[in-house]
Amino acid sequence: MVNYSKDAVVEIRNYLWHKIKQDSILSQNDYLDGNGNTIVPIIPVQQVPEMTSFFLGPTSANEDNKTHIVYDKIGISYEENWTICCEQIVFTVYAIDYNKITIMRNYMMDLFRRMDESARDINAWTGKSSEFKFHSIYIADISPTQPSQEIQGFLAEEIVLEVKYSRHADISGRFI
Amino acid sequence: MESDILVQAASRLEPLMAAPKAGIIKDSIVSQISAYLYYNSHVMAEVMKNQGFKNKFNSIIYNQVEKDFGLYIDAKARINPRSLHHVYEWDRVGEQGARLFKLNKLDSESLSFKVLYDFLPSKSFAKGENRRHVFVNKASVMEAGMPLKIAPRFAERLVFESNGYTVFMPKGASVTVRRPGGPGVKNAFKMAYAHFFSSNLINESIKRSGFQRIFNSSISKALKLPADIKRVKYTFSPNGLRAQAKVAVASAFGA
Repeated sequence: MVNYSKDAVVEIRNYLWHKIKQDSILSQNDYLDGNGNTIVPIIPVQQVPEMTSFFLGPTSANEDNKTHIVYDKIGISYEENWTICCEQIVFTVYAIDYNKITIMRNYMMDLFRRMDESARDINAWTGKSSEFKFHSIYIADISPTQPSQEIQGFLAEEIVLEVKYSRHADISGRFI
Repeated sequence: MESDILVQAASRLEPLMAAPKAGIIKDSIVSQISAYLYYNSHVMAEVMKNQGFKNKFNSIIYNQVEKDFGLYIDAKARINPRSLHHVYEWDRVGEQGARLFKLNKLDSESLSFKVLYDFLPSKSFAKGENRRHVFVNKASVMEAGMPLKIAPRFAERLVFESNGYTVFMPKGASVTVRRPGGPGVKNAFKMAYAHFFSSNLINESIKRSGFQRIFNSSISKALKLPADIKRVKYTFSPNGLRAQAKVAVASAFGA
């Protein structure tokens, strides 16, 4: 049975969170809810209303847990070569500290600017679902840092990634 | 125009395509190479003038840009609804079918076009409990940050909700909304538009259009040398080569 709930964007989001923790860009301990569960600070735009109170609330003595990323798909297309999917994803980084935005932007740029090499790193990550193979990831655009209109007191910056990937298929080209 | 300069430069090759005068050793190399360059120059000049090529260039690139721009604004609006809600129908921010903006293409004489935008009239009822009013110029008014004066037209007085309270205005009195749509909407669409068309996003869109691939295959077809240039000949007719170039371009790109 094909698992259609799997999504390449979620793979990238999981990989990004894994690397952020590994490289100590953010600390997982700053993102624990009242029950000690980790709230991953990279959320799809559809979940923003539920998560807003966590990221805006006074849940920590310091304010490290306010830095978070909201993502959404811009578009997805298969060209004539229908095995390769081309997808654009926009990540909006929110933080109250300009320095934190700078760190996150440069970190993501470092991680995802290298096209085939960036894709190779995700493919080599053991946490990735076996269904996907990434071919290329690069930074399509980075917007300037601006005061956010959505969350008062926060700064925001958009990073657009262009991702090319394939999903493993059977002999007739259907997903497996 | 660039094509005229190319044609003018190529015209210098015409004497070299003629048969050498008597007494000189006959050699077809000079005339053949000249004919080859002359033909290619005329193909390129014809391509730049060809209406079929212009149409393809304009439509293929514009269609992709229009699609990508719309998707970009939709995603941006979903993430930043306070800034871009005004360019969608009420309560449908980021929905493709609820857009109140539209790109327009302005063709030019040369091989280029301008992309402008227009705001469309809103057709849905404005927010509120008594949804009976259509704010037709919602997008353009909010984008411009124009203050609005709301006055009763048919009713005796204005009644509206503000911060959870129902406000009853004095009979006939009007209300001025200084920032319709909120503080974040003024020029927000214009900035997003400017960003898209000045950043790498537009380059990506042009690349994605596949125009380069179509152009490469068509131009290779058009530049394929006619058989008689490959044959050993001492004289080539400029008129004949020009006509052949024209036919080749028309066949590769359409008339």
